[in-house]
Amino acid sequence: MFYYSIGNSKTGFIKDQVRLNPFIVKTKMPSRELDIQDLKISFSTPRGKLTAVNGISFHLNQGETLALVGESGCGKTVSALSILRLLPEPPAEILSGKILFSGQNLLSLNAKALQNLRGRSISMIFQDPMTSLNPVLTIGEQMAETLLRHTPMSRPEALQKSADLLGKVEIPSPKEKLKHYPHQLSGGMRQRVMIAMALACSPRVLIADEPTTALDVLIQAQILELLGNLKRETGMSILIITHDLGVVAEIAQRVLIMYAGEIVESGPAQALLDDPRHPYTRGLIASVPKLGALKKTGTRLEEIPGNVPSLDQRPSGCAFHPRCNWAIEKCKTQKPPLREGEGQRQWRCHLEPGSL
Amino acid sequence: MNKGKGPALLEVRDLKKHFLPRKRFLQEQAPPVRAVDGISFTLQAGETLGLVGESGCGKSTAARTLLRLIEPTSGQISFCGKNLTDIPETEMRALRREMQIIFQDPYSSVNPARRIGRILQEPFEIHGFQNKKEKTEKAAQLLERVGLPPEHFNRYPHELSGGQLQRVGIARAIALNPKLVVADEPVSALDVSIQAQIINLLSDLKEQLDISYLFISHDMGVVEYFCDRVAVMYFGKIVELANSEQIYNSPQHPYTTALLNAIPNLESGRIKQEAPIKGDIPDPGNPPQGCAFQSRCPLKEKQCAEEIPALKEIAPGHYAACFLKQ
Repeated sequence: MFYYSIGNSKTGFIKDQVRLNPFIVKTKMPSRELDIQDLKISFSTPRGKLTAVNGISFHLNQGETLALVGESGCGKTVSALSILRLLPEPPAEILSGKILFSGQNLLSLNAKALQNLRGRSISMIFQDPMTSLNPVLTIGEQMAETLLRHTPMSRPEALQKSADLLGKVEIPSPKEKLKHYPHQLSGGMRQRVMIAMALACSPRVLIADEPTTALDVLIQAQILELLGNLKRETGMSILIITHDLGVVAEIAQRVLIMYAGEIVESGPAQALLDDPRHPYTRGLIASVPKLGALKKTGTRLEEIPGNVPSLDQRPSGCAFHPRCNWAIEKCKTQKPPLREGEGQRQWRCHLEPGSL
Repeated sequence: MNKGKGPALLEVRDLKKHFLPRKRFLQEQAPPVRAVDGISFTLQAGETLGLVGESGCGKSTAARTLLRLIEPTSGQISFCGKNLTDIPETEMRALRREMQIIFQDPYSSVNPARRIGRILQEPFEIHGFQNKKEKTEKAAQLLERVGLPPEHFNRYPHELSGGQLQRVGIARAIALNPKLVVADEPVSALDVSIQAQIINLLSDLKEQLDISYLFISHDMGVVEYFCDRVAVMYFGKIVELANSEQIYNSPQHPYTTALLNAIPNLESGRIKQEAPIKGDIPDPGNPPQGCAFQSRCPLKEKQCAEEIPALKEIAPGHYAACFLKQ
């Protein structure tokens, strides 16, 4: 049983649960693994202090896969890195907000407490496994390091556990692979090693930053399936950061769409993909060529005009207004209100619902 | 494989590019890496041919080899009736007016120290336009043609976004009215919302300037939308070649099927047909005997481990290299 979609409205949640599984009538609110409130992050640059993340709030429920979607420079990776306090501070600075992990504000923890948390309770995997693995250490040495840091076990035990973990992520002949160096493995294998390392201490939350972007489609499909299986087995929660809506459709239950440092839309994945409410989400979906909807001669792909705004040139009002086909006068000056719809849908837009 | 529509713009016969690994002291020479291992195809004037495959399958090497940016090991490339493999470099240079390339990463394919205007004038300089005023005018026209505002003329590459700079890359490629443009993953490095802009620009230019494209990509969705015919490459060889309806509606090679199954579908009500295929591409330093796809193929038979299947026509215009379909 998986929690399909969870928002603030309790009634909507129960309705969804009942629809999905008629045997469950009484459900409790799922507990929030991560609760991010009004997070604001800026960077000091020669051009002044630039706001990368402008007051975002979201939560990750226990056992759910949440996707954070956006283009380069929208602040999605910065938000994710800030959860584990991995941003270099300075130049980065967390101006305001709270990051609650089981009721504890991660922003008030000291370095040692954070170190105990990283890799044990919350793990992270990155886009390019080659740059996040140490090239001069064998796979076994790197994997054992995480285990020895967080759990009381001997080196041989740690190596044995590492081999088990490699087997779990479907790496053939795991014992042998422990002696290999990262460059001896293919990209897909390296990403599996990263996942195995991240799962070493059975974390409750896995943050995956573009885990399949550097991989080929066939390998991407393998990795996504693996992540799905592991999640089902371990019951962990996954926050996946991606720019690829296909990946979202594949594994996410809930989606947050980010644009220019703000969350512009959120909701259950399939509902959001089928019926986007924000013009940006709509544009993103329309600009992906659909397989099977074979080109009719003369039809053009729908495009979002203009460019992704850089950090120092974020427009006033609704940040998307210069690229929006529906923009009205109000969009240029006023921040759009947060609108709520049925089924845990939220979006920020001046337009009345249904006018897209 | 000429479809009988008159002479082909580009005809490639048994093109090979092998790279010799560096010989180490006191060690035996390692066998060559067969990056492109005997590919043949034709490209008709006005046609868009897609070349798809995973990274490392040799698609970019193939593109660079057929423009002779790297020298082929063997094989014939005939462009407008001229055999490119045995003409001298001076004549090749003149022919390069007709065949241009667009690269994946726009930032690494332009000189960061030159202004956009200067970058766009360079093709004219190389090919003998000396009049300064004429050059400037032409460069300005190019900017307009690819949809960039005139003030970008005096900017530097780092002042432009990825999408804008890719437009500069495209402008540079079309400067001399080429007949053939090789587009090597032109949208892969761009943001999703920008990809559609660039694809539309390439379509418009095709209409306006009568360009034929060799479109290299790993994105099956974009290829279906953009290409008339598609060649699927695996481990240095073309394993399937057909028009896009045939490839997408009735793929014949198990690798093509696997590629199509691996594409996530955004629409609801989707049913995942099959689990993704297992395994990785073989080690190029140690190629398998027989069919290169056998290690991952769900339909593998005994013959596949012994012989290499040849690319054969299995339906009109539809070629596949698989024993099961022949």
